[in-house]
Amino acid sequence: MIILALDALDLKLVERYNCRSLMQVEYGQTDITEFKLPRTVVLWASFLTGKNMESEIPIKTQWDYRLNPEETFLKLFESYKAIDVPALTYKGENHAEVRRLLKGYFNDEATVEEYDAVVWRNHEENKREFLDSLGKFDLLIGYFDLADSIGHLSFGIPEKMEMVYRELEELACEVRSSTDEFILVISDHGMEAVGRYGDHTMNGFYSTSRKLGLNLPKITDFYDIIVREAEG
Amino acid sequence: MKTMEDHLSNLERKSISIIREAKAQFKNIAVLWSTGKDSTATLWLCKKAFFGRIPFPVIHIDTSYQFPEIYEFRDRIAKEWNLNLLIAKNEEALREGMSPEKNRLNCCTALKTEALKSIIRREGFDALILAIRRDEHGIRAKERIFSPRDENFRWRYMDQPAELWDLYVKPSEDFSHMRVHPILHWTELDVWLYVKREGLPVNPLYFARDGKRYRSLGCMPCTVPIPSNASTIDEIIEELKTTKIPERAGRAQDKERAYMMQKLRSLGYM
Repeated sequence: MIILALDALDLKLVERYNCRSLMQVEYGQTDITEFKLPRTVVLWASFLTGKNMESEIPIKTQWDYRLNPEETFLKLFESYKAIDVPALTYKGENHAEVRRLLKGYFNDEATVEEYDAVVWRNHEENKREFLDSLGKFDLLIGYFDLADSIGHLSFGIPEKMEMVYRELEELACEVRSSTDEFILVISDHGMEAVGRYGDHTMNGFYSTSRKLGLNLPKITDFYDIIVREAEG
Repeated sequence: MKTMEDHLSNLERKSISIIREAKAQFKNIAVLWSTGKDSTATLWLCKKAFFGRIPFPVIHIDTSYQFPEIYEFRDRIAKEWNLNLLIAKNEEALREGMSPEKNRLNCCTALKTEALKSIIRREGFDALILAIRRDEHGIRAKERIFSPRDENFRWRYMDQPAELWDLYVKPSEDFSHMRVHPILHWTELDVWLYVKREGLPVNPLYFARDGKRYRSLGCMPCTVPIPSNASTIDEIIEELKTTKIPERAGRAQDKERAYMMQKLRSLGYM
C-alpha cells in the first residue's frame, strides 16, 4: 500500500489543473468540521490513529508531538516506511527552518524567494527518499507539504500554485505507474486565497486507486479502510 | 439565447431592487463613494433607483493621501450629479502626523475606519451602501448583501442571516449599522461593461499612461500601477478577458498580511 500524504491539497485546484493522476479512480473532499481548528499535526495524528486527537495535542508543543507506531495503522504492516509524517517521523529541523523563514517574512527579515527555496529543497529531499523506497515496503507513506507551505505565502498567485500542482501530479503519476498496489492520496485540509496568501479550509482531499464509493468521509474514517486493505 | 445586454440588465435590476429595499428598511442611509469605478457605478444605480436623484448623502472618506485626480473627479461629479456630499476626514489623526510611513495598517485604521466611524456616529446612519464585489477579494467571498456590523465594525461572518430566494432579512438582534452591498454579485468585467453601456464617467487614473495604469484606486503611497497599455474602456475590457493579474495586485498587502499572521499564529506556525 502506498499513501501520498499531501498537506493542503485542495480539490478545486486538483480539478482546475486537471491533475488526473492525483484524482485516480475515485476522488472527493473530506470533512474535517469535527475539529475546532484545521491544525496539521492534529489532523495527521487523527488520520494515523482513527481517533480525533485534537484534545491530546497542545498547540505550543504540537510540532514535537510523536505517536508510538503501535498506536497507529502502521502496526498492521510487516514492513513500513513513513517519510516525514507529522506526529510520527516529522523532520523537525527541516520544518523549523521553514517556520523560521515564515516568521521572518512577516517581520520583514526574509523574502518569499528565500522561504520558497527552503520549501522546495525539503520537498526534493523527501521526493528522492520516497521514490527510492517504492516497491521495498508493505506500506510506504510519504508526506509532502509543498502545497501548504508555498500556498501560505502564494496561494493567490495562480502561476506559482500551478507549478506546485504540476509537481505533485508528476509525483502521483510516477507512483501510479510503478505499482498495482492500493494507493491512497490524502490531504489534511484544503486551502483558500486571502489576497496573495492561503488559509486552511475545513475540507481536505482524498483519492483512491480503487472505487470505494465514499461520500464526504472524515479523515478518521480512513483508518478502517486501511485496516481492511491491509487484511486483504 | 442570453446576451450580454440581458446579463447586464439582470445585474442592474437586482442591484436596483437591493438599493430600494435598503432605503425602505432603514431610516437614515448613506452611500460610500471612493470615486472608483465600482462606487461610481453604484452611485449611478442609486440615481436610477430613485429616478435621477439620490435621496440620501454620499460619503467620501478623505485620507488626504489620495491622488489629485480623485479629488478633481469627486468635485466635478458631485456638482454634475447634484450630490449631497459628506466628507469624512480624521483631522485629529492627521494633525498628529498619521501617515502610511508610520504603519500602513494603523494609518488605514485611523484615516479610513475611524473617519467612517466618526461620521456614522455624528450623522446617526443606520445603514451604508458599499460597492464591494465578491470576486474582488477572498475575504469578501463570504459577504452577504445585507451584512450587520457592531459598533466596532466587527463582522461576524459565521453568524449572518440567510438570504434565500433574494429575501434580505433585517436581523432583529442588536447591531450598530447595516452594510448593504448592491453589486456584490458583479464581477470586475461586469462593471466595465456596464460603465461602457451606460456611458459613465471614469477616473482618468484607470487609463494607461507610459505602459502603466491603476486597476484599483487607493491612497497614493499604498497603490502602484500595473503594467498595461489599455487606454480606453474597450481596451480595458479586452485586457480583463485575458489577464491573470489579481485586481488588487497594485494595493498594499498589509491587511491580508496582518490577517494571515494572526491565522498562522492561531494554527501554531508562528
